[in-house]
Amino acid sequence: MRSRTPSLTAWIIVIFGFVAFSPRASLQQRIGPSAGKGGVGDITGEYEIPDPNWPQWAHPYPKPGYIWGSQGGVFAESPNRIYLANRGELKLPDKVPPNFPGNWGFFNQMAATQPIANMVNCIVVVDGNGKLIEAWNQWDKLFEWGRGPHQVYISPYDPERHVWVVDDMRHVIYRFTHDGKQLVQTMGVLDEFGENDDLTRFRRPTMIDWLPDGTFFVADGYGNTRVVKFDKTGKALLKWGSRGTGPGQFNTPHGIAVGGSPPRVFVSDRGNRRIQVFDTDGKFLEEWPGIAPHSMLMSADEHVWAVDSLTDRIVKFDLSGHVEFSFGQFGTRPGYTWAPHQITADSDGNLYLSEVFGGRTQKYHPKPNADPTKLVWGRSLMPLANARTN
Amino acid sequence: MKRITLLLVALTLVVPAALAQSKPDFSGTWKLSGTMPANYPGSAGWGVPSPTLVVKQSPTEVTIQAGQYGPTPMTVVYKLDGTDTIWEASSATQSGATAMVKWRTKARWDGNKLILFTWNTALNQMRDVMTVSNGALTIQRGTEQPGPSTNATLTYAKGS
Repeated sequence: MRSRTPSLTAWIIVIFGFVAFSPRASLQQRIGPSAGKGGVGDITGEYEIPDPNWPQWAHPYPKPGYIWGSQGGVFAESPNRIYLANRGELKLPDKVPPNFPGNWGFFNQMAATQPIANMVNCIVVVDGNGKLIEAWNQWDKLFEWGRGPHQVYISPYDPERHVWVVDDMRHVIYRFTHDGKQLVQTMGVLDEFGENDDLTRFRRPTMIDWLPDGTFFVADGYGNTRVVKFDKTGKALLKWGSRGTGPGQFNTPHGIAVGGSPPRVFVSDRGNRRIQVFDTDGKFLEEWPGIAPHSMLMSADEHVWAVDSLTDRIVKFDLSGHVEFSFGQFGTRPGYTWAPHQITADSDGNLYLSEVFGGRTQKYHPKPNADPTKLVWGRSLMPLANARTN
Repeated sequence: MKRITLLLVALTLVVPAALAQSKPDFSGTWKLSGTMPANYPGSAGWGVPSPTLVVKQSPTEVTIQAGQYGPTPMTVVYKLDGTDTIWEASSATQSGATAMVKWRTKARWDGNKLILFTWNTALNQMRDVMTVSNGALTIQRGTEQPGPSTNATLTYAKGS
């Protein structure tokens, strides 16, 4: 008996270690004490508690009697140029409690697009202080029959810095000029959804990410169960995925991030509570179970940051699926989140999270002496070809 | 030359009429037959099939009476020239509350299939692909709403 005890202990250690550190371990297992950094109870990680009055433009109200509803997306082009994707404004009750903090989540009604959201100020640009720089009201009409912009991006590899907006409910992806004055491309067919084999139509697409040569990948989406690969002009090259739970199958592919060497495609298979990893031709490589991200971000230091719909946690993965750090918690007070839907970061280390149920976008400034390895660093963008800086 | 001109005029008049006549006629009263898919319908009753459909068809529009577009039956017009029909009605929203909702419809032919589109600002969408064969009306219905997407095949038989 004495001779067997060390052996049994060793086996327990080996098994625990395998479970805790394997990419197949669930998120809950991997963000426990073994992670040693961040973890449950760490609300804002290496960031200060956000200023609840950021962005200034939307506080107290975008216009009297109305409030921002669901915040689908946010993209930080620079510390002083941040795009906000707003899924409509909602009428406030006639009497608002004196402690009302200014965001829809306070009312605890979940879907911040109900009963009927007014599609105004859907795309706005603010500076670092949250002051309005641009309101792209000329495009509000595009969102009238849907539920507003789902997410917003600029490709890191585009010298013209076109602005891409995904509209899931109207089944299209828009590409605008950097200043928003022109709509230069509409992908998909407005208001018409297609099935999984249809390469001309989406069915509620969700997110985009790019390769350095301009090739891009679309997660499609709420209705379809696939990833579609496009060349830089928007010509569909191939698609993969079907409905199901097996390798390469999806249930609501909602987030996507591309990176690594050789490059890989990381897909948030939200309904199946996992991230799946593919090569750029759609060959399945592995899965990371136990997390159901709304959105993901490939950081400048080549990590996948995922915003988990199950736990409201912000999780940093290395490209092998190991959790390096996590923070965040559900709530409506400053610093907490309710359904963080897009994650972005600027070159000063500021983090931005848009919340679809919380009905706000929060800006997180790094704490003094923050550990830079625990901050989100957005990929740097190509210099703007015809220089406009702010 | 005169004969050719007359022939062209005749063709101009006759061919479109012949093409129009070749389109199937969905008019009539239709009774739902068969069973519904297990995951049907979507949220807030959206897309639930009407037990009875009364369809009126003219060269310019299709009217569906007693269509079950939500919890309440409605009569809805689809113009066949591809243009929108827009109206407002008090309707159920995703949250269950009733509000003034804008509705929009559109239709187009795809060969012998008639494709009907219905949208509203309560975030509901429906695409019906209608075919008629051997006295049966088949509707391939796809719906979208914030919840899960649905696809279903609905079969109707001529009723009275």
